[in-house]
Amino acid sequence: MLLQEATRGAHPLSGSIAEWVWLIPLLPFIGFLINGWLSITSAAHVGPKDPSAAGHDPAGHGDDHGHDSGGGAHGDDRHAVARHKYAGLVSVIGPAVLLLSFGLTVAIFMAMLGVSREAPFVRTLFSWIPAGDLHVDAALQVDPLSMVMTLVVTGVGTLIHLFSVGYMQDDPGYPRYFAYLNLFVSFMLVLVLGASYPVLFVGWEGVGLCSYLLIGFWFTDKANADAGKKAFIVNRIGDFGFLVAMFLMFANFGVLDFLGVAAAAPGAGFNSPLVTWICLFLFLGCAGKSAQIPLYVWLPDAMAGPTPVSALIHAATMVTAGVYLIARSAFLFSLAPVAQLTVAFVGALTALFAATIGLKQWDIKRVLAYSTVSQLGYMFVGVGVGAYTAGIFHLVTHAFFKALLFLGSGSVIFAMHRAYHATHNHDDAQDMRNMGGLRRYMPVTFILMWIATLAIAGIPVFAGFFSKDEILGAVFARTHESTLSQVSWLGIPGGSLLYLIYAMGLAAALLTAIYMTRMMLYTFHGPNRSGEKEQSHLAEAPWIMTGPLVVLGLLSLFGGWLNLPALLPIGPVGTLEHWLEPVVGSATNAVTGGPHEAAHSTELVLIGAAVAIAALGIIIALVRLKPERLVPAAQAPEEQGLERVLLHKYYVDELYDRVIVRPTVWISRNVLATGVDEGIIDKLLVTWVGTGIPRLFGWFGSRLQSGQVGTYAWVLLIGVIAVLGAFTFR
Amino acid sequence: MLAFLNSIGYESWVLPTLLALPVAAALVILLHGSASKGEGTGGLDDAAAMFPRRITLFTFLLEFVVSIGLWWVVAPGETGFRAVVDLPWIRTWGIRFAVGVDGISVMLVLLTTFIMPLVVLGGWTSVRTKLHAYHALMLILTSGMLGVFMARDLFLFYVMWEIMLVPMYFIVGIWGGARRLYAALKFFIFTMVGSLLMLVAILYLGIKAGDPATGIPNFAFDQIFAAAAQTPQGGLNLSWFGIFLPGSTLLFLAFFSAFAVKVPMFPFHTWLPDAHVEAPTAGSVILASIMLKLGTYGFIRLAIPLFPAAAMSPGMRTGIIILAVIGVIYGSLVAMVQPDFKKLVAYSSVAHLGMVMLGLFALTRESVQGAMMVMIGHGLSTGALFLLIGMIYERTHSREIAAYGGIAKVVPVFATVLTIVVLSSIGLPGTNGFVSEFLVMVGSFKTFPYFTTVSALGVILAAVYLLWPLQRIIYNPLDKRENLHLRDLNWREIGLLVPVVFVIFWLGLYPKPVLARMEGATTSFVRRVEAGASQRAASLPPGVR
Amino acid sequence: MPIDVTLPGGLTLALAPDLILMAGAMVLMLWSAWRPDSASHQRSVGIGALVVTLITTVAVIWFAASGAKAKEGIVAVDGFRWAADLIFLLATFIAIALSIDYNTREGIDAPESHVLVLFATSGMMILAAARDLMIVFLGIELMSIAVYVLAGLNRRSARSAEAAIKYFLLGAFSTAFLLYGIALVYGATGSTNLATIGATVAKYRLGDSPMLLAGIALLLVGFGFKVAAAPFHMWTPDVYEGAPTPITGYMAAAVKAAAFAAFLRVWLEGFNGAYLRWHVAVWWLAAITMVLGNVVALAQQNLKRLLAYSSIAHSGFVLVALVVGTPAGSSAFIFYLFAYTLATMGAFAVIVALGQPGEGDLTIDSYSGLWNDRPWMAAAMTVFMLALLGFPIVGGIGFLAKWYVLQAALQAPAPQFRLAVLLVIATTISAGYYLQVVRVMYMKPRPANAPTPLPAGGLTRFVIGAAAILIVALGLFPDSIAALAQRSAAQPTTTTPAASGPMAAMSPGSAGAGR
Repeated sequence: MLLQEATRGAHPLSGSIAEWVWLIPLLPFIGFLINGWLSITSAAHVGPKDPSAAGHDPAGHGDDHGHDSGGGAHGDDRHAVARHKYAGLVSVIGPAVLLLSFGLTVAIFMAMLGVSREAPFVRTLFSWIPAGDLHVDAALQVDPLSMVMTLVVTGVGTLIHLFSVGYMQDDPGYPRYFAYLNLFVSFMLVLVLGASYPVLFVGWEGVGLCSYLLIGFWFTDKANADAGKKAFIVNRIGDFGFLVAMFLMFANFGVLDFLGVAAAAPGAGFNSPLVTWICLFLFLGCAGKSAQIPLYVWLPDAMAGPTPVSALIHAATMVTAGVYLIARSAFLFSLAPVAQLTVAFVGALTALFAATIGLKQWDIKRVLAYSTVSQLGYMFVGVGVGAYTAGIFHLVTHAFFKALLFLGSGSVIFAMHRAYHATHNHDDAQDMRNMGGLRRYMPVTFILMWIATLAIAGIPVFAGFFSKDEILGAVFARTHESTLSQVSWLGIPGGSLLYLIYAMGLAAALLTAIYMTRMMLYTFHGPNRSGEKEQSHLAEAPWIMTGPLVVLGLLSLFGGWLNLPALLPIGPVGTLEHWLEPVVGSATNAVTGGPHEAAHSTELVLIGAAVAIAALGIIIALVRLKPERLVPAAQAPEEQGLERVLLHKYYVDELYDRVIVRPTVWISRNVLATGVDEGIIDKLLVTWVGTGIPRLFGWFGSRLQSGQVGTYAWVLLIGVIAVLGAFTFR
Repeated sequence: MLAFLNSIGYESWVLPTLLALPVAAALVILLHGSASKGEGTGGLDDAAAMFPRRITLFTFLLEFVVSIGLWWVVAPGETGFRAVVDLPWIRTWGIRFAVGVDGISVMLVLLTTFIMPLVVLGGWTSVRTKLHAYHALMLILTSGMLGVFMARDLFLFYVMWEIMLVPMYFIVGIWGGARRLYAALKFFIFTMVGSLLMLVAILYLGIKAGDPATGIPNFAFDQIFAAAAQTPQGGLNLSWFGIFLPGSTLLFLAFFSAFAVKVPMFPFHTWLPDAHVEAPTAGSVILASIMLKLGTYGFIRLAIPLFPAAAMSPGMRTGIIILAVIGVIYGSLVAMVQPDFKKLVAYSSVAHLGMVMLGLFALTRESVQGAMMVMIGHGLSTGALFLLIGMIYERTHSREIAAYGGIAKVVPVFATVLTIVVLSSIGLPGTNGFVSEFLVMVGSFKTFPYFTTVSALGVILAAVYLLWPLQRIIYNPLDKRENLHLRDLNWREIGLLVPVVFVIFWLGLYPKPVLARMEGATTSFVRRVEAGASQRAASLPPGVR
Repeated sequence: MPIDVTLPGGLTLALAPDLILMAGAMVLMLWSAWRPDSASHQRSVGIGALVVTLITTVAVIWFAASGAKAKEGIVAVDGFRWAADLIFLLATFIAIALSIDYNTREGIDAPESHVLVLFATSGMMILAAARDLMIVFLGIELMSIAVYVLAGLNRRSARSAEAAIKYFLLGAFSTAFLLYGIALVYGATGSTNLATIGATVAKYRLGDSPMLLAGIALLLVGFGFKVAAAPFHMWTPDVYEGAPTPITGYMAAAVKAAAFAAFLRVWLEGFNGAYLRWHVAVWWLAAITMVLGNVVALAQQNLKRLLAYSSIAHSGFVLVALVVGTPAGSSAFIFYLFAYTLATMGAFAVIVALGQPGEGDLTIDSYSGLWNDRPWMAAAMTVFMLALLGFPIVGGIGFLAKWYVLQAALQAPAPQFRLAVLLVIATTISAGYYLQVVRVMYMKPRPANAPTPLPAGGLTRFVIGAAAILIVALGLFPDSIAALAQRSAAQPTTTTPAASGPMAAMSPGSAGAGR
């Protein structure tokens, strides 16, 4: 609080356009309001005055309200309904608000270039939760890190909005879709701009909500609704960790804003249990949001949503929030090497694990989903070992090429789907076994997808190569003379653990190259398996969709220039490094103990190894896989053995279901609800005490109340004796 | 504003007016009822049936308008009681009619006056029989609830506390569902058992506070607090179990029994699901929004500050917190498996109120403020949930979650509002739910980190037990024929939901005005209890401590 | 003005109200014999009886206002007596009013019935006045014999006759105990005058004399029978069920009140010195009566039996006031009896109003859905039930009565914590059956074949309405009644429980928190 005030007063940015930073999230929110209003008004039929009396009038009601088409996972009957009546207006508003906030972001970015960026610029809007010692302001923070994120979010966001205009054009839920999408971006911006953990948490849960709504966008298909719910709940498990972390911070530091915590954290001491626990709980949150083991299970299912959503939320922006959170909390993590190693190790494990699953998926989107999980693992390895810049760098490049891959697959699915729809074929439009040879029909997509593939595989000059290589290099560098190498993790010395992580990273890289090439082969190469009739309908998507693809293609091609290693000075070296220096520099140095140049020879070897691995992977795929042998999904044989296990993702979902979900429900239903509640408590209080005892007395009383005077006299006499007895007491 | 209020002597008449208005209206309605012959259709075309509706709605709106001024009367930072009116009532027994509000009670008074008009509108068409009696009872009930919140005399408090039972008993028992008789009786007996024990404690305190010379007791809060401060010697010696219960503990337990049942705390909660399920919409809403708060209000107003040492003695405090946490988890788990949506929400109330108890007994300024926020927020969101259930029930006559599915297609407005309310109920940031639960937990974590962590699991469970039915109701395939032609909300229903939704977001985005008004009262509450607990703990013999 | 009741003139003056009542009764007796029995005659005599009651009431009020006092003697002239008298007269008035309508409906053309009521009432007034055990006995017999007859008034009904016989036999049985007790007390103290007894007991520390204690014990049995305290209550349900409904109400209210009045006076003025001894017995009597009465009532289906058990339970509550043994206790006692009389008589009035000729079935379920065709009747019954339950506002003064008793119990020098807790628990139990009646009336549908109740007689309706309104109104503004009750407290002679406070600590009721 006070810190913020102080920094704000003196800050060079105060009074500049940065004062308007709050407009960045607000603009998409306004878009959400407008689109949401259009959606509701177009859908609603206000009911009768007296619902209980009113009978039903089927005429003109019930069937044709435009709220939503049910539709299968890919909106099979999307074409059944005419374009939404507000489609034109919405397609302007939706992307426009994004474009505006992107422009504003660029403006602020320009303003920052000129001035000193040492201290972050905090824009306090109003006091949000003042209670007792707790003072949470609704404040936004402008600093290099948040700017990078904001640029990515608004930039990529705009492209994806444009793509959606084409992709969703015929969907009856068109305004609702853009309302959700705008809302998502708005929350995402709050997430990256928030100046304190609670404000960040607002965005954090908000994006979760939007992901829930968008995954279940075509909610009349149970699978989609389930997927959305699963995503939300798994995320909540992570949020639990986030919350507890915040509680710990408040209980020990008394503040929750970044600057305050950053100032107070060192007091807790290096490698102290407190900081370690805070970081671990934070990481639990990240694992939920960024789909790391053990909470990754929701992301693949999330592919049930429309493909642009998968591109924006489940590849480019939301799922990277965990990485951002750790980079944002660098000052904490650098104090907790054990937690860092945990992050890195879990990241590496996830990278490898997800990659293996990616090998055997047939659904093109699922392949990409697992590749996303795997790449996120990479990022966590980066931020885990304290190479925050590298992590963010990979986050950015990944945003480019993964968005491209998803949108590309989107236009493939779009084409396949249109073909199927024209021929009333009900095969799966996402199954690669039904594709093949598409390069002939959609060349542009074909080329762009290859660029992205090479980028993710880590082939030099493509964006992914630089970021991935930097991460691996950082891991290798930390193996000695770093805080990480000195502590021991579950008894394993940090150094050796890092070597292991490095090895896992390489392995993951190999697999990545393999499954991506596999995807390309099966999708674009070899003969087409969609059927003769369909082939005539296959075609490139409209320009509103391919246009963004081209932009992303360029970004995936040159994104690496953002942060060139000193080794390859083909341009400005380490731009991002210097840019982020004020935010994460000190934290990085705290881990490495100051910048020290590794020998170029070793670095060369490392790079060589990485490239070799990637190339090897591609070659293996090209040699071993034969697209022409593939048969359409319909007549494909059952997988056996390991393949089957991979296809079923190691049966992890089934495991969770059996071990956690079902027992909980069973216990709640049979032990708690019927057992304790109706059984013990009510039986005890109502049946026995409430009813039983009176019955007993009543029976006894009525038996005694025989109506015989003799009996009464006897009872009276007994009473007399009793009274006389009582008088001997004192 | 305040100047204007002073110019009309607002503080001198507002509270009695709030109490009197509903009663007067009830009498008018009853007379009209006995005048008008026979039962009409009870529909909107039935003029005789419209009269009580209109009068009641008008009265409640008037109540709200009148009560609004309290918002300015209890300014931020206000610690004491305002709008105090103190008249002699039964001199022979030293009983006074004393009312007043402070930062804590004013919020609940406003909550009540805010909710009641919506309740009437909610049941506008769903209740079609005996409308006169129905509305009269609701009016009387309102007076009772307001009376509890503003009472400054223990006798008055008790009378108001008890009088609420009767109208609710009738509302549930006459206009309720299939098992209404059972539910009504259960509700009445459960609540009465507790409160009668409190009666003995109240009398004891009143006599202690009274004038020994004349033997006239005194029930004014201030004197009662003074009397409770010097705790009685002696107590109940259960030598069989080798425990000695000091007098203050016994008295606390007497109050506890009354309030814990009302809250309701596990394991005294089983009356709630039955009452909620069987009650008509209005009954459920009033129960959830206001009556449950009476229990927690009793704790914060009387039970804890009267006997800080007993309440905060390690054993008692931990025990109650454990019960609260059990309530959170247990309520959530049981709610998760309920096929009946009303029952589900009822159990979710058990969970939310457990959160309140945790906040109160954790006894930090944040947690107590949070507890108050939960009380208000729960009143809004759960009340709204019951209103929505009532609306859809009015159309389909089914509370079974399984009877729905995919209805977002046919009733988009309903679906939207339901989603918003559910989200606020699971504590999504930006809604009241987050602010309140976050405050409770962040505050409680200071004193009870482990229990708080456990109760934070409720955050996960809340998502489970509310999103599951949400999906099964408004999402999934629209496969029930009878739902195909479901009619969406009408203007009345939309109109009554809009204010709730507005407040939900207001308290989520800018709760400062409310928090600031409660700050003073809650802080002095925490201070007093801490002081009392510490100084008694020092003086107690080790056996008791 | 001081009255010296040792002089014949003073005595006559002191007994003036009683004498007025008796005289009126005599006149009516002659008049009723003057003409052959007929419905109209029965009515007119009844009206006459009402007038006599009113006149007596005026006289009592006049005396009460005059502040007349008598020091010693066989007859008391004090507030307690007048307050008690007013309660009796209230019950009497209601009983007669109901009887007029009831007899007309049941075809009981017996004008004497009203006269008998008056005679019974005069016996009660003597009981309230009695300061000598012999006078007490006189009053009891005068009252009881009249009531024996009244119970069997309905000659055509076998149940009525059975009730009368039972009551008579057991009554005689218990009277024997009473008489023997008096004898023993006389033997121990050499006097039957309460003041003297009290003085003697205090003076010679007779607190432990076996003979005295035995005497007290037997008196306790006698009174216990009259007030229907467990375990001497067995006769109550049968007799109450069998007797004509107005008479049942009269017994439940007036007879009980009268017995209690004498009970209290004897105990406070006579046996206060032996407090520590009888305290235990009465404590247990109260406890057992409260619990047993309420619990057994839960199982009742017949309304009259239910009210019988309820009246037993209320005897337990009143006994609590007696256990306290302080002036405050006796004030609470008066207040309680007043509230209880209103509520009980009101309830019986409703039964009279809704009964069918021959009192066919009086099960609770016969009131199902009463709300639909007789809303005000149902409302009134609700008030009476909640008053008996002791519920605030709606139950009005009924709640305050319990409140007062509890206050007295807790305020006593030997606070009765356990008894207080027991009382509230018993109250909760009682909710079970009082609410059942309410529930039936409002929440159960009217059976299809249910006979529509005949329009109730005007007097009955007046009584019901007046009682209900009084209960609620006095519940809201009880200050006057409370002050009256406080003024008309019976003063215990000689040693008070306070004096024996520390020793009282050992008695079961007084243990517990706060001492």
